Amino acid sequence: MAAACKAAEKVRKVLIIERNDSLGGVLNQCIHTGFGLHCFGENLTGPEFADLQQDQVNNLDIDVFLNTFVIKVLPTREIVAVNSDGVISVSATSIVLAMGCRERTRESIVLPGARVAGVFTAGTVQRYINIENFVPGNKFVILGSGDIGLIMARRLTLEGMEVKGVYEIMPEPNGLRRNIKNCLEDFHIPLCLSTTITKIIGKDRVQAVVVSKVDKNLNPVSGTEKIIECDTVLLAVGLIPENELTSGAGAALNQATNGPLVDDTYQTTIPGIFACGNVLHVHDLADNVVVEAEKAGEQAAEYAGGN
Amino acid sequence: MKDFDIGIIGGGIIGCGIARELSRYSEKTAVFEKFADIGAGTTKGNGGFIHAGYDPFPGTLKAKLNSKGCLMYPDLARELNFPYKKTGCMVVGFHEDDLHSIEELYKRGQENGVPDLEIISGDRIFELEPEANREIRYALYSPNSAVTDPYKTTIAFAENAVTNGVRLFRNCEVREIRKLDDGFLLKTSRIDFQVKYVINAAGIYADDISQMAGAEEFHIICKHGDLIIFDKSSEVNMSMSLFPTSTSATKGIALGTKIAGNPSLGSTSIIREKGDIDTYKEGVDQLLAGASRLVTNIKNCKIVRAFAGTRAVVENNNNDFYIKPSRRVPGLFHVAGIQSPGVACAPAIAEYVVEMLLENGVRLTTTDYFTAVRTDEKPFAEMSDEERNEIIARNPAYGKIVCRCEMVTEGEIMDAIHSVVGATTVGGVKRRTRAGMGRCQSGFCQHRVIEILARELQIDPCEVYYENEGSNLLFGRLKGADIQ
Repeated sequence: MAAACKAAEKVRKVLIIERNDSLGGVLNQCIHTGFGLHCFGENLTGPEFADLQQDQVNNLDIDVFLNTFVIKVLPTREIVAVNSDGVISVSATSIVLAMGCRERTRESIVLPGARVAGVFTAGTVQRYINIENFVPGNKFVILGSGDIGLIMARRLTLEGMEVKGVYEIMPEPNGLRRNIKNCLEDFHIPLCLSTTITKIIGKDRVQAVVVSKVDKNLNPVSGTEKIIECDTVLLAVGLIPENELTSGAGAALNQATNGPLVDDTYQTTIPGIFACGNVLHVHDLADNVVVEAEKAGEQAAEYAGGN
Repeated sequence: MKDFDIGIIGGGIIGCGIARELSRYSEKTAVFEKFADIGAGTTKGNGGFIHAGYDPFPGTLKAKLNSKGCLMYPDLARELNFPYKKTGCMVVGFHEDDLHSIEELYKRGQENGVPDLEIISGDRIFELEPEANREIRYALYSPNSAVTDPYKTTIAFAENAVTNGVRLFRNCEVREIRKLDDGFLLKTSRIDFQVKYVINAAGIYADDISQMAGAEEFHIICKHGDLIIFDKSSEVNMSMSLFPTSTSATKGIALGTKIAGNPSLGSTSIIREKGDIDTYKEGVDQLLAGASRLVTNIKNCKIVRAFAGTRAVVENNNNDFYIKPSRRVPGLFHVAGIQSPGVACAPAIAEYVVEMLLENGVRLTTTDYFTAVRTDEKPFAEMSDEERNEIIARNPAYGKIVCRCEMVTEGEIMDAIHSVVGATTVGGVKRRTRAGMGRCQSGFCQHRVIEILARELQIDPCEVYYENEGSNLLFGRLKGADIQ
């Protein structure tokens, strides 16, 4: 939205293509505050922040295709997408990629044990609770002390679910210091460092996990295993920029960030295709995303030369 | 109480394959499956290889049925519309000792009637499979080896069987078997059934079923196997499967491409407790260690899924299939111990079982009303733009992409739920449509799949199971009154 609004200052026709049924992306489920301090001078929740952006989009007459799924971006800047009208083709003079991230899964960390119901990534739990109004579990064990894990530890506790502990494989916690205090310490949720989950136990649903201390090589230390009873495992083990479309367009990826390689105008290795936000690299603050996105939008508009 | 001529206990690839064969006859057949879905036991943990038949020892039942079954697949796949690809495979070796093993397999293959086998070496190996480790010196090339999707094959068998009159009862666990004058009374977790003949195709529980019927004791050992699926966009793109010879440190671990396109690796084989299908780190490590011997680049591939399965082995039976009429209880027929090459043999086992029934006095009357063909829609992900526009025009639900990783539409998920043997669980939707099998492992689509299941089955989302009873994903509403 930020890129589109900035671009709309310079060019005539701007289109946002969104696969969900509303704009906002993950902001819609981030009901905690901390958004907008820089951009709007207020301390907002994610949905409030997205709402203000949506107003800007509406005021600027930007076209929006919702429920539209882009399946291909070509280096010629033709976009092929699918929605309930069929397969549609959009020709663009310049493109800004802002597809965000997906969450690292249990599989990519090879967490052994039972493959039963009750193993969720943090974002999935957040969606079930904040948007769909469901209880996805009663007793949680959280793996990963990044901000997402910490925010969810607090959210679950506030909503009446039990968090047995946050387990972090590294010797230092991953998230912002203010989140450790506001989310864990204030709610007496144990933070166990240099500890990881080594096995999930359960028959049809999670029943317990085995946690274990790790050595400096991050290998489990024999004899330190503990069984923690729980019915849900929440994984907050990392984000991966969603770059299938980017690679499909032929843009080179940066191995370090998993995002596209860009120059200082946020242009990828394909002329006219720009990238910003989490798809470029994982960000900590939404406000920083907006600053970056506005730059990318401006550059994309420059490239399009007023069209 | 319901009455049937033949009751098949077990709805895996074997039970459903037998059901499909029996649906050619007018006698009433039923399949009793204890889990919520068919193919949810050993079949679910299978890697999908169709072995050509050079591995079993000549003279065994495996040897008799393997090549036959393998060669039945191309026509069957066309008839029943399930995924099948004749990729071929190579058993590869590095040293002289390996060459001896390869020659031994070739010999066995000849005796077992496996066509087109070749012992090859040098550049031919890399022409056939460019990804193969350049240190490989010898190979047994088997052009008839293939890959399939074991769930979709099972579903195809079951749906054709049901279309032809077989009744399928899921969530139906047989708990008691009583011998009657002219048949059996089966007490299940649902209702009672009366059948004339029982076919015991109960996988790892076949010995329990045998015991329940008062038949001879045979004991089943469970061989657990870990498997790995890699990301489709991985650097490795294999045309066929590669197997190491048994003298190598990594027996039985095959590296290949799944029919859906993902590089895959599997499986280990170690005796574990009955029903243990946990993923084991030791298994995954063992797989990865062996894989790079076959294809060096595999270590750069990202793991999308690690899963496991278990196969039934009948003890003291020469590692062979146990397919015979019960010696103690007339009317009971065992189809037990179907471990590898179970998938390859499945069609041949089905025919063999029918022959066994006929030889043992079971009356089977060919019906005129048998439909051999089953149709199935091509996945949206494989359609051309014209085909996509056509199907979306028919029903806009096909324009709503639910699983972004595998490009599965809402229309396809609805089809999977309303199909002849429809999905009733998240796992069932996954195995029929691939929704949830991609790199985000249902992170994006799970809540949508639950929503669609709840809507189409007219149940509450909190009643939707992942697999079986007790596997609820959601426990209740968070706030507000329960308006339903």
